[in-house]
Amino acid sequence: MSIGERLQSIPRWGVYLMLILVTSVPLFLPIRVPNKPVESTIDLYAALMELPTDKPVLIASDWTKSTRGESQGQFNSIMRILMRRGINVVFYSTGDPQAPRVYQDSMRVLNEERAVAGEPPYERWNNWVSVGFFAGSEAATNGIANDLRGAFRGRKDFAPGRGLIDVFESPVMRGITKVQDFPVLLVITGSKTSNITVERVSGKTPLAFAVTGVMTPETQVFYQSKQIVGFAGGLKGLYDLETLMEVGINTDNPNTVKSEKYGSIPGFPGQKNDGQGTRYYPTLHFAMALMILMVVLGNVGLLLTKSKGRR
Amino acid sequence: MELLAQANFWLEPAGSPALYTKLIFALLVGFGVIGLLMVAPPAARRPVVAFATFLAGLYWVMLYLWPVPIAREPGQLPRDGVESVGFFLKDINSDVVSFTVILTSFMLGLGIYSLMRIHVGRIRRHHEDAFFSWVLIVSLLLMVGFGYADWSSRLGERSALLELRDNWGFVNYARDFLFEGLLQQMDAAMFSIIAFFIMSAAYRAFRVRSVEATILLATALIVILSLMGAVAFEWDEGVARMANGNPLLLNLQLTEISQWLRNTFQTSSLRGIAFGVGIGALAMGLRIWLSLERTGGSA
Repeated sequence: MSIGERLQSIPRWGVYLMLILVTSVPLFLPIRVPNKPVESTIDLYAALMELPTDKPVLIASDWTKSTRGESQGQFNSIMRILMRRGINVVFYSTGDPQAPRVYQDSMRVLNEERAVAGEPPYERWNNWVSVGFFAGSEAATNGIANDLRGAFRGRKDFAPGRGLIDVFESPVMRGITKVQDFPVLLVITGSKTSNITVERVSGKTPLAFAVTGVMTPETQVFYQSKQIVGFAGGLKGLYDLETLMEVGINTDNPNTVKSEKYGSIPGFPGQKNDGQGTRYYPTLHFAMALMILMVVLGNVGLLLTKSKGRR
Repeated sequence: MELLAQANFWLEPAGSPALYTKLIFALLVGFGVIGLLMVAPPAARRPVVAFATFLAGLYWVMLYLWPVPIAREPGQLPRDGVESVGFFLKDINSDVVSFTVILTSFMLGLGIYSLMRIHVGRIRRHHEDAFFSWVLIVSLLLMVGFGYADWSSRLGERSALLELRDNWGFVNYARDFLFEGLLQQMDAAMFSIIAFFIMSAAYRAFRVRSVEATILLATALIVILSLMGAVAFEWDEGVARMANGNPLLLNLQLTEISQWLRNTFQTSSLRGIAFGVGIGALAMGLRIWLSLERTGGSA
């Protein structure tokens, strides 16, 4: 077998072994990759930082642990921003029956993190409320867009010391009658619920997304047409968000992110901003480098074989 | 019409005997209708299914096409027939949505029934893979049991306390172990396997066999490199130093090239695909709604 043929037929187990190595080793090394956040994430961060603090945010949390590499980190970062700004949150899910349990567990973990940092807990019912899962994303999102009170009617959540109580009795839902009462609808998803939300809710309240890497191209379409105010796409978007949380936009920090669209928007220096994005981004780096290397090797092999054939 | 929209059959206190009576009544009626449809000859069944399909679709079509109120004041009455219909469509929206959500929820029950039918059958027949059927059924029962016990433990005064792990009891830990410790981790593991397929497929398929393949490869390379923060950062910094403020040369930054590719080619291609899919879905939706699709309307 010639070198060209060898380069084109690296056994599958060899490729898999290399992938395991390049994705595992960086997890144990403290590497901080330089970063230049993309515009869509800068817009998302700016939108989150400019939200009024007297109104709750509506979050469609439609992810489960199958996409935790990206979605878990996005959820944590977005919630850290909202918690630090004292903004209340209303959660619902239409994408997966497991999703409510996943965001409830994630809120518990974030509260444990706050307890370690000496911060007060973000209380269920008083600071955030779970409306639960709606089967049938299209119809449920349509209902939320057209008649929020009707769509959430009869939904209950745990009130401290009182058991299950109608969500509209929660202080979080005070003054909320329609989707337009929320300053933004955030969709954190690993499925197509972001597209369904654009189709049904667009124009009624500003939309912002946190999506997985594979959904970034189709979400870019909505961002370009200004149907969404901003989005974090995949691990890169998450790392961008964590970078922005550390250095802010146009601040005094020497590493601050420069943007002509905004004035000075502070970050949260000295607080826990590094999360999954910072931890996993080097791994993505090495995996992509390996992919480029493998493609180059395959093509070099092809060219060598072709040139040998011509001779 | 307004009365019909305002009347709500289900507005009974939660857990009240009246609500349970209505639920049982509705379930009996529902199963009765399904049973009747199953025994009815296809010629009799077809118009019923076609009418129900048409009625279900009609509401959404009308909600989209008919003028509905967007800034209606409480207690405001319709001025004419058009407004009456618009008010009616808006008023029954939550009921239609609830009905659709409940109907979709029944699919979960259908899925469980289907799973149980297959796996209980395998166990009964002593199938060679009956062990896995046992694993599935036991896992399902454990998850349901501990899930319900965990939920029940949160009712009442302890709900706030259980938001902290320190206050958990056995059922809370068991639910967390089954859901977070096993199910979610296996879910993530299954999904991560895709990385191996992508890597293997990229190695075998991305070959410069034609001009089109070469263009695709070059484009993919630029986009992948732009996602590698260190590469993109160093490239852009290098170009910025070299450009020395020249706006034309700044376009050679990797992130600019990548953004141009995305905004110009990627989004327009995806829009084209979306339009095509949309038109196809509209045509298919019309066929199903009007029962012209034999596989959909003649069941």
